[in-house]
Amino acid sequence: MSLPVSEIVRDETRPGRSFLRPGAVTRKPSRQPSQKSGMTMGASKRKSFLILLAPAVLIYAAIIIFPIIFNTGLSLTKWSGFGEPKWVGFGQYAKILTDPVFLHGLRNNFLVVGVSVFGQIPVGFVLAYIIYRRMVETERFFEVMIFLPITISPVVVAILWNQIFSTSGVFTQLVRVIRDDPRYVFSIFENKQFAIVPILFVILWMYTGLYMVIFIANLQKIDPEVLESAKMDGASEWQILFRIIIPLMVNIIFTTSVFAITGSLKSFDLIFVFTGGGPAHYTEVVSIYMYLNTFRYYNYGLGAAVSMIIIVLSVGLIYMALGVYRYFASRYE
Amino acid sequence: MSEGSLVRKHSLAWTVPAYTIMVVYTVLTLGPLIWLFYSSFKPHPEIVRNIFSLPKSLDFTNYEVAWVRGNLGIYFVNSVIYTSIATALTTLFALSAGYALAKFGYKIAAVVYAFFIMGLLVTPHSVLVPLFVLETSTNIDNTRLGVILPYIAFGLPFLVYLATSYIRGIPDELEQAALCDGADHLQIFWRIIAPVAKPVTATMIIFSFINNWNEFVFVFVLTSDKMLRSLPVGINAFAAGLTRNYGLQFAALVIGTFPMIIFYIFFHEQIARGFAAGAVKG
Repeated sequence: MSLPVSEIVRDETRPGRSFLRPGAVTRKPSRQPSQKSGMTMGASKRKSFLILLAPAVLIYAAIIIFPIIFNTGLSLTKWSGFGEPKWVGFGQYAKILTDPVFLHGLRNNFLVVGVSVFGQIPVGFVLAYIIYRRMVETERFFEVMIFLPITISPVVVAILWNQIFSTSGVFTQLVRVIRDDPRYVFSIFENKQFAIVPILFVILWMYTGLYMVIFIANLQKIDPEVLESAKMDGASEWQILFRIIIPLMVNIIFTTSVFAITGSLKSFDLIFVFTGGGPAHYTEVVSIYMYLNTFRYYNYGLGAAVSMIIIVLSVGLIYMALGVYRYFASRYE
Repeated sequence: MSEGSLVRKHSLAWTVPAYTIMVVYTVLTLGPLIWLFYSSFKPHPEIVRNIFSLPKSLDFTNYEVAWVRGNLGIYFVNSVIYTSIATALTTLFALSAGYALAKFGYKIAAVVYAFFIMGLLVTPHSVLVPLFVLETSTNIDNTRLGVILPYIAFGLPFLVYLATSYIRGIPDELEQAALCDGADHLQIFWRIIAPVAKPVTATMIIFSFINNWNEFVFVFVLTSDKMLRSLPVGINAFAAGLTRNYGLQFAALVIGTFPMIIFYIFFHEQIARGFAAGAVKG
């Protein structure tokens, strides 16, 4: 399954150009010289270039680039949405970086990044490897089922798991049956340090299939003969895994890490619907902190400053991942 | 699937843990969903009395009530509008941009391409505040347009990436031959590039469709009019607080999930390919 794009291109564009209208392309040995002169050709080409590119660039610039620039200015002000914004320089940043609620949110964000990079990726790799090496029968079934949650709305996932982890929910009932203790109540949300744990679990539940699918697609690109000859030479399963497969996967592990980092900083919907950041900000992440301050407490300048911190944070984390990747890439070469 | 040579007898030391992992993981994935599905047919008191029991009968009351009381019909239509328009436009714009960036050979193409790739790192929340301010000051907040534009903008970076890398792989001869016949670049795009790029277009549409269907935050922040809500926002508003009627809540969740499950059954291959393409070494 999951052919890489480049291979599909080759397949689809092989001879037998049936997709061309008859007559649209004629390959006569003696081609008529083009009617148009070089000058008008160039002008018409430039015009086409602009027409083709303009819609995407304009929308992208208007909705993403311009707001980011605007936001930089906004983050240096105090503004409640009405009247004139008041210039406060880096005051908002100072306020945020000393706010214990923000720092706890940041800590939660790093835990989400951590469970993504050190949870989803290794687990996804293990699942992919089992399927790739066909260690189980009906591996297609497992693959399809494990990937399924990726299509479900984070809102639905959040409400479902909120019910499961609620005090009268499935998890509590299940533990009561297993422990034979009818008074057990799952109360982790009351604990400031551990309240985030159920959410981390759900993030793992939801997105691991994605990494599995990415790894399967890339594992299948490995030339089977490499494995064959390694086996001929008497390599053990462990040697094949650690000496051949993992070194070949280093760059995929890097790209998936970038995926995981950007993805985890995006984790707003799930947590917002799940707990709203509560109780008492215990499960808040930075994006929810931004949302609440802007749209509940009408502190736009503060919200804008948090947005800037999110951008700086994601770029910083990705550079960190790049550094780690370079280290491992050079070690394996 | 994999080559036959990969099918080999694995020793029990490998297959037993492998099966254990796969079965446990699959049960964890499917268990909650199956439980949600059958519980959605149970009335609330029955769920509270015995949370695991199967429904006594196939009773659709929860669905009827949730559909009407939650206004889910309107939200469903809204979701269809947002998703289909945004998906169609994002795909078209990304495909045409991909052609311009891949084949015209202008120096500026590299810059524009990098500019789109940068967008892969921007999370919606980092522009939410300025976007809200800008939309209210241009009066397009609380409109369908104000919702669809950010859907398109945030879909573009990845789709431009997919389209550009695919169109780069299309042989130049096709384009050259049409140029010699006097076709201009817009005709070439429509008659040659778009048909040849059908496989990647399918991937783009499917990927974009899933993201748009599940999108939450833009409608949530940029609209306050109930009639403009999408299904995820509507379900959140209706079901998140419904802890006194789990039956209704579950029915609403199933309504929100069902279209995607059907979609997944039909397009699993392409969905997987679309997501996997994101991590293909670029």
